[in-house]
Amino acid sequence: VKHEHLEDMLQAAVELELATIPPYLCALYSMHPDANPAASLIVRSVVVEEMLHMILAANVLNAIGGQPRVTGPTHAPKYPHELPDGVVLDLLPFGPDAVQAFLQVENPQYRTSGSNSSHALSDRRPQVHQARAATVGSGPTTIGAFYDEIITELEKAAATDGDGLFCGDPARQVTKDYYYAGGGAPIMVTDLASARRALTEVIDQGEGNPASMYDVDGDLAHYYRFEQVAVDRTYLRRDTAGAPSGPSLGVDYTAVFPMVANPKSDEYRDPDLRNASRAANRMWSLVLRQVEIACNGQPAALLPAVHTMFRLRDRMLLLLANPMPDHPGRNAGPTFEWDLPDE
Amino acid sequence: VSAGPADEEHYDVVVIGAGVNGALVAKQLTHAKLRVLVLEAGPGTAWTFDGYSGHLQHFFAASGKGPESAWPPALNAPQPDTADIRSGGGYFVQTGPQMYGSSYSRLLGGSTLHWLGVSLRMLPEDFELHTRYGVGVDWPLGYTDLEPYYRMAEMEIGVAADVADQVHLGVTFPAGYDYPMQRIPPSWSDQVLAAAVDGMQIRMADDLYTLKIRNYPAARNSIPRGDYQPVGAVDQPADGQALARDLGQRCAGNTACTPICPIQAKYNAAKTLAQADPTRLVVRTQAVASRIHVDPDSGLVSGIEYQRYDDPTSSRHTVHVASGRIYVLAAHAVENAKLLLTSGLEGASGQVGRNLMDHPCLYAWGLSKDPIGAFRGPLSTAGLDDLRGGGFRANHAAFRFDIGNDGWRAPTGAPDATVADAVSAQGRYGSKLRDHLTSVLSRQVRFSLAVEQLPAPGNRVSVDPRYTDALGNARPVLSYSIDDYTLAGMAAATEVYQAVFRQAGITDCTDPEAGTWFPSVTYQDREFHYHGMGHFAGTHVMGDSPERSVVDTDQRSWEHRNLFLLGSGSFPTMGTSNPTLTMAALTLRSAESLVRELAS
Repeated sequence: VKHEHLEDMLQAAVELELATIPPYLCALYSMHPDANPAASLIVRSVVVEEMLHMILAANVLNAIGGQPRVTGPTHAPKYPHELPDGVVLDLLPFGPDAVQAFLQVENPQYRTSGSNSSHALSDRRPQVHQARAATVGSGPTTIGAFYDEIITELEKAAATDGDGLFCGDPARQVTKDYYYAGGGAPIMVTDLASARRALTEVIDQGEGNPASMYDVDGDLAHYYRFEQVAVDRTYLRRDTAGAPSGPSLGVDYTAVFPMVANPKSDEYRDPDLRNASRAANRMWSLVLRQVEIACNGQPAALLPAVHTMFRLRDRMLLLLANPMPDHPGRNAGPTFEWDLPDE
Repeated sequence: VSAGPADEEHYDVVVIGAGVNGALVAKQLTHAKLRVLVLEAGPGTAWTFDGYSGHLQHFFAASGKGPESAWPPALNAPQPDTADIRSGGGYFVQTGPQMYGSSYSRLLGGSTLHWLGVSLRMLPEDFELHTRYGVGVDWPLGYTDLEPYYRMAEMEIGVAADVADQVHLGVTFPAGYDYPMQRIPPSWSDQVLAAAVDGMQIRMADDLYTLKIRNYPAARNSIPRGDYQPVGAVDQPADGQALARDLGQRCAGNTACTPICPIQAKYNAAKTLAQADPTRLVVRTQAVASRIHVDPDSGLVSGIEYQRYDDPTSSRHTVHVASGRIYVLAAHAVENAKLLLTSGLEGASGQVGRNLMDHPCLYAWGLSKDPIGAFRGPLSTAGLDDLRGGGFRANHAAFRFDIGNDGWRAPTGAPDATVADAVSAQGRYGSKLRDHLTSVLSRQVRFSLAVEQLPAPGNRVSVDPRYTDALGNARPVLSYSIDDYTLAGMAAATEVYQAVFRQAGITDCTDPEAGTWFPSVTYQDREFHYHGMGHFAGTHVMGDSPERSVVDTDQRSWEHRNLFLLGSGSFPTMGTSNPTLTMAALTLRSAESLVRELAS
């Protein structure tokens, strides 16, 4: 039995997790080297967990016989990117706007004081691209509610089909041999229980447990990690939500390459910048291709993908360090546009 | 200097030194529910992620990138620096005739902070050198005694290797065993060289040896086997946000293992200390053990006097005494001997401080015909170690070659020196300069020829009241020579590397006069420029009699039965493996014996 709707939802989940990665990478690499050590560690700790979430969603999709896709203009994310709850993901340098956006992404209850739609940004959002999750779910929804809906659908299908639902080849699962250092080990999904575990981990690490600021591993949930950056104060163990009382993180928004918001390769009229941007996009596209191969039966493809990620970082840094002649005070940045021919 | 009131504190075990041996013993004993105090002479900066990051910044900013460049010492815990060998200054007082070429670090984590991570076992024949070849001495225990502890050590420090690569020269593993992690992939250079060299034969004495480029076991994280969890960066923040621990769960091929792995994918002793039971462990850093108190009637140690300082740049300190049921010196081969000697515990055997060894090492460098991908990957992922054992050891030292992945960095200062040479000496510029560098840098091959050294009583650490540090503690006085056995080994190693270069079509560019300065020693009509491998050993040798040795097979002092001396200082001989894995195995064996004794 094909479960097209479930596959669509899980494919949308893979894309959702993937879409969160470029904005975090922009914040991370726009920080000057050696500046903002505490903030960069926080952004890094979150982005590697988003990578884990993408792999977990892909494992569930593989478990029910699906084929995760992350390549090509259809599946690679486009920016600005609107999540199913209306939050817009922009490509921004590390700064108050980016931190406000991260707080929103990580906590559906959080409402920004308006900076996420600030005037400065509005003219850098010519077209907003909707996440696939906004169309395959039952309506406007938070990320957590979207995953709850998937779990409910999985339970229904499992009740109807029994073991037939989890018909995927276990060899397609990405295991801890190849995925590592990303906020926990991936979970091998072979049945309803493991599927539930995998998706619950995504919800738990992302939005956190309403009862606690800390996740099951004892780490602060993403929202609280970013709140520390927003108020430039560390949470101590005894602190209650909203009132961190520890030392300053030493947040320095000036030690940042002032990347232009939501850049596009076509905007780079300088040929050197345009070439650098294409090189970065090719590297990003190559990462996506290697991830897709890894999630379609060849998990060892993640090993060379690590090398490609280093090369992507180097190309991002090259763009971020370069001023844009026609945007005084602004630097170039990665555009994260798909740029590889079909194979 | 301010001498505070001597306060007393009591533990089950007092450990001196937070390096690999101190950390391993602290972990084992605290997990056996024993209360342990670790005194560390230097700062504990490597214990926190921020502190470690500070060392990384220090390394980035350093103009020279030597093994010490990331790890500056505190005023009150001075340490040797290889740059001192040429200037003649520094912590060591060297009386010659040869210069001892190695250094170590006095910080929490010890020299594992800047080791390369190679984790070879010693060969079975290394333990029986005298019986088999009539040279050196035999160990009082053999390979089979130590084999189970080698496995434990490989688990504790996290070694990546495949047993299939390591079964040779008599080294055995029990059926079904493999290392906790898969081997680090061979570099492109390893693969190119293997294609050219594997199978070539070398005649030495009356025997033929077949060479094979072999993957090195490495204490670097790789793909785990079974349930093994690779241990990433140490992150012990007070507020519980251990966000850095995701770093370093796999080696990412940074070419900076020595002096500092930027992501902590390489083992350092702080990782082990972080696994100890924190409720039973007190780690006191910036606490310099200065004297061992011994009860004159029983010969038992009654306390360790130590000097505590708050400011690493000031000699202001207070004096304290720690006492326990058992005392463990795990401060380094040189520091263990120094502390015994300054406490007047030279002992009846007269062996304390003697038999100091190293692996004096020659660089060989050349240019391959085709690019071999130099300057990529961990500093070394493979070696040529077929001449670590064999009948020739009756005549001269054994040796092994590290195959570098970092071009001519170590012997000449490449790539900077290569650029300077191309511009200044050869007058190249523009696209011709770029083409030249692309061609030359990618073809740079480097071997390190590490040669065995036998124990000699005249090679020794001593103390002299004329030479003291800021706290008034002794500086080690080193007397050191390299004998004909080792020099003949250097000559043989030179012939072998030249044959290997010829076989692989590598143009030999070895020219110590033009390269980085290293001390030299003459043999017959030739001069060998050598450097140390950091492999200090032999200052409190193990043996089966109190007359000829300092410790027994448990590394327990013959004369002070509640005192253990851990580390490579206990090695009667050291073969050609780097000492860390073997001393970790010995320490785990000692810890087992301590637990048996104290828990009962």
